[in-house]
Amino acid sequence: MDREFSIIGKRTAMVDAAGKTTGAGKYTDDLSVPGMLVGKILHSPHPHARIKRIDTSRAQALEGVVAVIVGADAPKTYGILPVGHDETALAVDKVRYVGDNVACVAAVDEATAERAVELIDVDYELLPAYFDPEQSMKAELDLIHDHKSHNIEKDYHHTFGNPQAGLAEADYVAEGRFLANEVTHAAMEPHATLAAFDINPHTGKPGRLTVWSSTQVPYYLQHKLSLVLDMPMSQIRVIKPLVGGGFGGKSEVIPLEIIAAVASRKAKAPVKITYTREEVFWAHRGRPRTIVDLQTGVREDGRIVAVKARVVQDGGAYCSYGVVTILYSGALLGALYDIPNIQFDGYRVLTNKPACGAMRGHGTVNVRFAFESQLDEIGARLGLDPAEIRRRNLLRPPCTTVNGLRVQSYGLPQCIAEVVRRSGWNGRKGRLGAGRGLGIACSHYVSGAANSIIRSDMPHSTVNIKIDRDGGVVVYTGASEIGQGSDTMTAQIAAEVLGCSLERVKVVAADTDITPIDIGSYSSRVTFMAGTATLRAAEQVKQQIASAAAKKMNCAPQELRFRDDLVFRKDAGSSAPPAQASASGRVEGQILRESLQQKRKQEGPKDAMSFEEAVVAAIDFHGALTGTGSYAPPPEARGGKYKGAGVGPSPAYSYSAQVAEVSVDEDTGEVTVHKIWASHDCGRALNPVAVEGQIVGSVWMGLGQALEEEMVWKDGLLMNPGLLEYRSPSSAESPEIEAIIVESIDPEGPFGAKECSEGSLAATIPAIANAIYDAVGIRLRESPFTPDRVLAALRAHKKAKKLNLTEGVDPTAPTRFREHGGSLWFMGKGPERHRSDPARQPGRRGAGGDD
Amino acid sequence: MSLPEFKLLRPSSIEQASELLARYSSEGTFAFPPGARGSPPGGIRIIAGGTDLIPSMRQKLFEPQYVLDLRRIDELKGINPQPDNGVIIGALTTLTMIEHSSFLKGHYQVLSEAAAAVASPVIRNMGTIGGNICLDTRCLWYNQSLTWRKACGFCIKKEGDLCHVAPGGTKCWAAFSADTPPALLCLNAEIEIVGPKGARRIPLRDFYTGLGDAYCKLEANEILTRILIPSASAGYRGIYRKLRIRGSIDYPLAAVAVALKRANGQIMAGQVALTAVHSAPLLVKGAAQMLQGQQVDQALAEAVADLAAKTAKPLTTSALTPEYRREMIRVFTRRALIEAASN
Repeated sequence: MDREFSIIGKRTAMVDAAGKTTGAGKYTDDLSVPGMLVGKILHSPHPHARIKRIDTSRAQALEGVVAVIVGADAPKTYGILPVGHDETALAVDKVRYVGDNVACVAAVDEATAERAVELIDVDYELLPAYFDPEQSMKAELDLIHDHKSHNIEKDYHHTFGNPQAGLAEADYVAEGRFLANEVTHAAMEPHATLAAFDINPHTGKPGRLTVWSSTQVPYYLQHKLSLVLDMPMSQIRVIKPLVGGGFGGKSEVIPLEIIAAVASRKAKAPVKITYTREEVFWAHRGRPRTIVDLQTGVREDGRIVAVKARVVQDGGAYCSYGVVTILYSGALLGALYDIPNIQFDGYRVLTNKPACGAMRGHGTVNVRFAFESQLDEIGARLGLDPAEIRRRNLLRPPCTTVNGLRVQSYGLPQCIAEVVRRSGWNGRKGRLGAGRGLGIACSHYVSGAANSIIRSDMPHSTVNIKIDRDGGVVVYTGASEIGQGSDTMTAQIAAEVLGCSLERVKVVAADTDITPIDIGSYSSRVTFMAGTATLRAAEQVKQQIASAAAKKMNCAPQELRFRDDLVFRKDAGSSAPPAQASASGRVEGQILRESLQQKRKQEGPKDAMSFEEAVVAAIDFHGALTGTGSYAPPPEARGGKYKGAGVGPSPAYSYSAQVAEVSVDEDTGEVTVHKIWASHDCGRALNPVAVEGQIVGSVWMGLGQALEEEMVWKDGLLMNPGLLEYRSPSSAESPEIEAIIVESIDPEGPFGAKECSEGSLAATIPAIANAIYDAVGIRLRESPFTPDRVLAALRAHKKAKKLNLTEGVDPTAPTRFREHGGSLWFMGKGPERHRSDPARQPGRRGAGGDD
Repeated sequence: MSLPEFKLLRPSSIEQASELLARYSSEGTFAFPPGARGSPPGGIRIIAGGTDLIPSMRQKLFEPQYVLDLRRIDELKGINPQPDNGVIIGALTTLTMIEHSSFLKGHYQVLSEAAAAVASPVIRNMGTIGGNICLDTRCLWYNQSLTWRKACGFCIKKEGDLCHVAPGGTKCWAAFSADTPPALLCLNAEIEIVGPKGARRIPLRDFYTGLGDAYCKLEANEILTRILIPSASAGYRGIYRKLRIRGSIDYPLAAVAVALKRANGQIMAGQVALTAVHSAPLLVKGAAQMLQGQQVDQALAEAVADLAAKTAKPLTTSALTPEYRREMIRVFTRRALIEAASN
């Protein structure tokens, strides 16, 4: 029998791999244009202050300085969400976190710009600052944004089914508070933007703008630039060079992108800004510190009857994606297990810290940590195997969940079965000896949001294809390759549909002048949506080729098959194309043409053409050979009608199950992860090696959040704004990860594919927590599980000498930071504070919300 | 962050280097660099591997007018075993060379282990043993960018007048955070220092002051040239245990070096030294006496471990809480002694 596919499903090297591995590839910071200046930003030293005066004259007078810009140079507000336009290019009247953007210098070189930044004089009037969300929510005065009362960005209260009745009929209700500390993306490439204006030949003033930027969302950047600069979008071109990782940190407009453009306009010269690593931490947009109060009611047999979750996210000083983040944290309680009744109360709270935003597993990760940990507790309480309790709560798709999420393909049962089998779960769980254990957890994620953040009916992706007489296939897509393999996926789908080799396909991506709109690389939407658009564009081109080829072959177009650079009749004698061609797979057109001519002479009417011949025939017949395809999510996948229903719905969900094997040193609290078995249902693996890479990457990132990574503060000042003190795992302690692909073949995804780059992350943290419980009997409810926290829990468990986690911690720090240790809130002087700050009032010990 | 401008001096002999240093150094010691406590930038800094100096210069912790590069001085490179199995190590020898030397592995195990624990392979390829001995003390409130330090308020170690770690006092508590010095302390190492008046030799234990700012006794016109380990220290069984959150890259958050010489199950001589829990690497006073002539059992190990934990003075200069770090000194010392005493 013939293979089903010739391109997809094969382990395929990334089409852009060579440039990245040799160093020839160009990232934004590698670019330079004639006359280019370097921009440096002045950041706020205060967490919350009014700007009384800015004097830039000394900076402007420094030789080599071309322009200095301040808030007044571009005062229009923007934000990634239409409901969250609360940012300006530079602070207009207030600064809201240490690191907020105050002014920018464009100078001839970096050292000059740095020197000039030091010469800008700013007078601040300090305001009381808020660092703890529970405390911030009580604020009446000195609000972070005037229009947000009680510093609440947004709160949602959703009731699905009847949670009260559900809990009443439960045989057991588990209850607990879980806390996940703040983490950031730590992408390898720091953000960089190069902005250059053409001079309008008629006016001599800056005309069209070109921006090269490290972005996941070129189209949104073009849109926000047009807003802030007050220019038509058509006059702005955004180009995305190679991007060295995004993980959500580049999925919205980052301050430097706007600042570079404003500076370039004022300097009348190209300006490039590259963030230092410290600035990357300040720009942040990472995963917020999250407090989850969770109740799960179950029947004796382990069936979940109701879930109540109160989620508070410490969102930082600006909205960013916050409204979406808090909604995801509630919406994705659904669609993993069958839960008949859900109560969700979510609070997205503003605090005087860098803004949180979207990060891999957006909104779901911290709640999933809480949920899967609690499910483990319930299993232990009921005497149910943790894998079994999960199996008892499976959905029965196709179905729509109580909160309106449509689930069609559902590989979770197989995911669980795979990790249980491969880890030897049934024989080994509970039998690994002292200090060693196994834990299981599951997770899921959307394959793109069914509703775009810009509410409209426009397609989320559009792809154009052009083929010329040379037989070269050029695919134009707005989808942003950020290292996840989007260009390779696009090329694979086009080549599969057209039956040509991958080498024939060139992908031109993410250039707003050239490529049609795609809303970007976030929420794991590219394969599903841009992939479907590519498939449709390729089908359209294929039909044109087929109609022309069919004429030449005296058959109907539908009788033709495209494969291995050949177009041939399905019924032409043998089922396969000429053996030689298909075997080598790289038949040269020229040779083929000769052999076909000979063949035609011998056999009469032809039953096969080379791809090039067919293309030439089609161009001769139709004129130009182009096709276009687009994707908009179907109405039935777009969710319910309640307020906030827009976030959570997706055309398809990915599923993941993981087993972690860990050991815990009971004297030191050090946790060693020996192995993680991670299965992931990605629908169909278009490129298995890329899918495995994404699974391994997700697990590894989850491992970081589970064990090592956290942002540590002193009065809003980030204590660890660098990769030395913010510890992402190194290869030395990274465990073996067995990536297992499960293919559920989604009815709507391109060739059945779904997402694979985010869904696996969330399971890792609870899988490790549950394994620690299995190993030493302690339930860790706060991440990361650093050795001091683990040892403190072990001591408490054994009722041994208490380990004081708060030594050296500022006694005036918010309670929540004081309670949980890990030096989360340092003693010390720190940045200057307003005299009426709660923390600075004599006689008050703490400033925490619960004091 | 740009690297401040400086003039690079590249001597090819110790004499030349010494001469250049004498010419360009202003008064003050190595650890009181020009630029400290608000004095204007300038002066001269020595660079070997550069893994510590270059990031610090980018953070504007040092803005020297001259940088003296030792890397062309070949006589400072290499491990020279002596006929009696003592060893002389050039200060410019990389940590990778120390880590992989089979001679050191055979005779000075604790040093091999400590060198292998430094940072990451890439850093060890560049970093030198001399640089590790002279490593600037570290503190979360100090090893930050100029912008950060301005936002926070400067500290005693650089331009300020208070210590964020111990705000009441006037002393700098930055932690000495190098891996190899505790191992060298256990081995009774000496160091050779060359200055305008020629070479001098001092025991390493006399090199550190215990202050966070002026942490070592190297004058601005002096160069650390050689490390000498006496033959009497050869053949000690040695263990280095380092507390770190991740398996690579990290500086120690607390660490213990143990070296024991045994005969017939008894300890002939033994030393225990600590790092990253004080402004100097510390020999645990009294540990040698407790160990000498004894057999290591759980009780002795715990007694020495208690002593080590009492010696440690961790403060909030780094990640993980001080009490936890002191506890780990206890656990690591106990374990290292038992391991070193078993076969």
